[in-house]
Amino acid sequence: MSEIDRRSFLKRAGGVGLGGIAAGYGLGAATTANASESEAEMAGRVNAAELADRRDFDGVHQAGILTPAASFATFLALDSICGGRAELMGALQTISSRARELTRGGAFPVEEYDAPPADSGTLGPVIAPDGLTVTIAFGASLFDGRYGLAARKPAHLTAMSAFPHDDLDPARTGGDVLLQIAAGHQDTVAHAVRELARPVRAELAPRWTMAGAVGAQRGPSPHSSRRNHFGFRDGTSDPDVTDPKVMDRLVWAERGGAEPAWTADGTYQVVRTIRMHVEFWDRVGLHEQEEMIGRKRDTGAPLGGTGEFENPRFDLDPRGERIALDAHIRLANPREPATIDQRILRRAWNYSQGLDPAGQLDVGLLFVAFNQNIQRQFTAIQERLNNEPMIDYVTPEGGGYFFAPAAARHPSDWVGSPLFA
Amino acid sequence: MVAIAIAAATLAALLAGCGSSSPEPVARSIRTIGAHPDITVEEVTGGHLSVQQEAAIAMERTKNPGPGGDLQPLHAEDFVKPVAEYRRYSEREAKAVQRHVESLQGDIAAGDVGAAKRDWLDAYDHYLRLGAAYGALGTLDEQIDGNSGRLPDGVHDPDFTGLHRIEMGLWTGEPTAGLRSPAAYLARRVAHLQVAVRRIAISPLTYATRAHEILEDAQRDMLSGVDAPWSGAGLRATVDSLAATEFVVRTLKPLLNGRGSTVEPVENELARFRAVVDSVRREHGGAWPALGALTQCQRERVDGSLGALLQRLDDVPGALEVKRTKPYPTIAEQRRERQ
Ligand code: HEM
Repeated sequence: MSEIDRRSFLKRAGGVGLGGIAAGYGLGAATTANASESEAEMAGRVNAAELADRRDFDGVHQAGILTPAASFATFLALDSICGGRAELMGALQTISSRARELTRGGAFPVEEYDAPPADSGTLGPVIAPDGLTVTIAFGASLFDGRYGLAARKPAHLTAMSAFPHDDLDPARTGGDVLLQIAAGHQDTVAHAVRELARPVRAELAPRWTMAGAVGAQRGPSPHSSRRNHFGFRDGTSDPDVTDPKVMDRLVWAERGGAEPAWTADGTYQVVRTIRMHVEFWDRVGLHEQEEMIGRKRDTGAPLGGTGEFENPRFDLDPRGERIALDAHIRLANPREPATIDQRILRRAWNYSQGLDPAGQLDVGLLFVAFNQNIQRQFTAIQERLNNEPMIDYVTPEGGGYFFAPAAARHPSDWVGSPLFA
Repeated sequence: MVAIAIAAATLAALLAGCGSSSPEPVARSIRTIGAHPDITVEEVTGGHLSVQQEAAIAMERTKNPGPGGDLQPLHAEDFVKPVAEYRRYSEREAKAVQRHVESLQGDIAAGDVGAAKRDWLDAYDHYLRLGAAYGALGTLDEQIDGNSGRLPDGVHDPDFTGLHRIEMGLWTGEPTAGLRSPAAYLARRVAHLQVAVRRIAISPLTYATRAHEILEDAQRDMLSGVDAPWSGAGLRATVDSLAATEFVVRTLKPLLNGRGSTVEPVENELARFRAVVDSVRREHGGAWPALGALTQCQRERVDGSLGALLQRLDDVPGALEVKRTKPYPTIAEQRRERQ
C-alpha cells in the first residue's frame, strides 16, 4: 500500500476518531459498533488500530512529507561534531537504522540484566509503530568545508536569514541535521526522540528542539482542518499530494540543471517556529480577525462563501470588497497564473512552551513548508506576507532551511548515502 | 458601590503582594460556544439566549445598527484637535530625544560610560514617550530603535545601528571608541525626528488604535525583555509607553465622554497600573529596577495589572469608530453581479 492509500484505509478503520464520534461520522463497518461490543471495547480496538499503523521507512521518497500531519511531532536539530567524513557517514547510517527499527516496531531484547537497557522502555516492552515517521534533512551548514561536501550543496539551499519582522534566536535557528519525528501519540514521539539521539551523542549534538501537536478532529466532517492557536482552521488549501505531476512540479527537487544528481527525489524543507501573541489576538474583534485571514473563523470558508474548501474567487473581487487585498490567504496564494508555481506544501503543528518573561503564553505555530525551490516558492510568498496585518500578532523566532533527500532505498541503505557516494 | 469596593480591594492586594494575599476572585461572565457536532449548546454562558440567537443578533447588529442600537459613528473632524495636541506633545518629546542623544554623543567621545548610560536611558525614555514604537515612523524608527533579530546577521549585521547598537556596547563593556560612529549616525537620524513627527499622517482610526496598541507593543516587546536586552530597561520602557498612552487617552476623553462607559474603566485601570509600577519603583529605592531585578511577585503584579489595563484599552478604538463595518458581499452576489 502506498502511504496515501494506507491513510485512507486507516481513516476507514477509525484513525480519525474514537468511539461514538467515529460511528457518528458513518465511517463504515470497521468502526461501527456491533451489538455485542461496548463503547469501551470499540475505543480500545480503534486505539489498537492506530498504534498498529506502520509507515515504511524505506522507499523512493521519505515518509513524513506527503504523509498528512501526524497528531504529534518533534523537531530535533543537531550539529555535527564529527571529526571527519567517515564518522559523519557512520552517524547518519546509525540514525537511519535506528529510525527504521522504531518505525517498524516490535519487542526489544534485554541482553544483560546489569547493563542499562537497550531501550528506555517508555513505551513498554513492545514498541508499537503508531504511524511513526522520521524525516531526515540537512542544513546549509553541513555543506561548509568540514566534510568536503561544499561542491555538493543543493542548488537552492542557504542558511535562513531573517525577514523584516523576524526576531530570530540564533540558538534556535539552523542546524546541520534536522529530524522531523512524527507519530499518532505524544509518547511515541518522545520515545523516538530519545532513542534517536542516544546512539549518536559523540557525533551529533542537539542544537534546538521544538514539539507540537495538531488539534483533535472535531468535525463537522472527517476532512475538516484542525485549528491553530488563533482559532482558525489551518491546512485547508494545500496542493494535491495524490497527484504525482503536481508534486513533481512543486515539491520534488528538479532533475538536472543546477541541482546535483544526488538530490533526486528529495525536497527542500522550510521550518519556521512562529510565536503567536494570543493574548493580544484575543483582544481583536472577530470581524477584524476574519478580515486579516480572509476566512470565517468557525467554518474556515473564504469570506462570502459557505464551505471550507470553496474557492475564494479572488477574480470576482478585484478591489477586495469581500476579501481584503492584504488578507493572509490572498497574499499567500493570489491564485493567479503567475503564482501557480509558487505554491508550497504546508504542514503545521501548534506548540506551547510555557510562559515568556512577561507572563504571556509562549505558544505558536511550528510551520513547515516542503517545496522544490525555496527562493521561487517559500521566499516569494514570505516576501508578499512581510507587511500583512497579521504580522503584529506573530513573531518568527527560529527554524531553518533544510534539504530532505530521497528515502533509503532498501533496509541496508541509509538516508543521505548518495550524497557521499 | 460593590464594584468600587472590589476594585479597591484588588488594588490594595496588587500593591501589597502576591501568593497567599491574592485578592478575592471577581466573577466575570465568560461566553463559550460549543462546536462539537454531537453537542448542542443550549445556552450561551452568562445569558439566556441560545448560541444561534446570539449569533443572529450579533449579525443583525453589524448589518443594521439601528438608531437606538450602536453609537453613531464620529466624524473625522472630531479628531483634528486631539491629533494636533498629540503632535505638539510628540514634537516636545522628539526635541528631548535629540538633546539626550547629543549629550550621549558627548559622553561617548569623552569615554564616560556612566554618563553615557544615563543619557542613553533618557533618550530611550523620550523616544518611547513619542509612542513612536508603534510603527508610524517606518524606516526612521528602524534606524533609531531597530532590533538585531530582524537582520540577517543579527548583532553582527552592519545595519544593526541606532539606540540598541549603542545599548549593547555600553552594557557589555565595549570600548567607547567603537561607539563613536554609531553615536554619530544616531545623532544624524534623530535630527530628522522632529520634522518627521510633524509630518506623520495620522488617521482617526490610527489615532484611536494607538490608545490601545502602544501598550500592546510594550507588553510584547518591552516587558518580555526582547527590546532592550542589555540594559534591562523593559519596565522603565513600559512606563514610558504608559505615559504616551495616558496622553493619548487624555486627548480622546472629550470624544469618549457620553459614548458608552469606556472612559471610567479605562482611567481606573490606567491609575491602577500607574500605582503598581510606582509601588514597585519605591520598593527598589526610587530607581527603575532592571527587569531581571524584579521579584516574581513584582513581576506578577506588573504583568497582571497591565493585562487588565489592555483588556480595557481594547474598548477605546471600538467606541470611537468613524465608519460602520460594511457587510461584505457574498461570492454568489459577486457572481451574479458579473453576469
Ligand atoms: C503563525 C503564523 C501563521 C498563521 C496563524 C497562519 C494561518 C493561516 C490560515 C488560518 C490559513 C487559511 C487556511 C488554510 O488554507 O490553511 C492559512 C493559509 C495559508 N498560509 Fe498561513 N499562517 C501563518 C504563517 C504562514 C507563513 C509563514 C506562510 C508562508 C510563507 C504561510 C502561507 C500560507 C499559504 C500558502 C496558505 C494557503 C493559501 C491558499 O492557498 O489559499 N502562512 N494560513
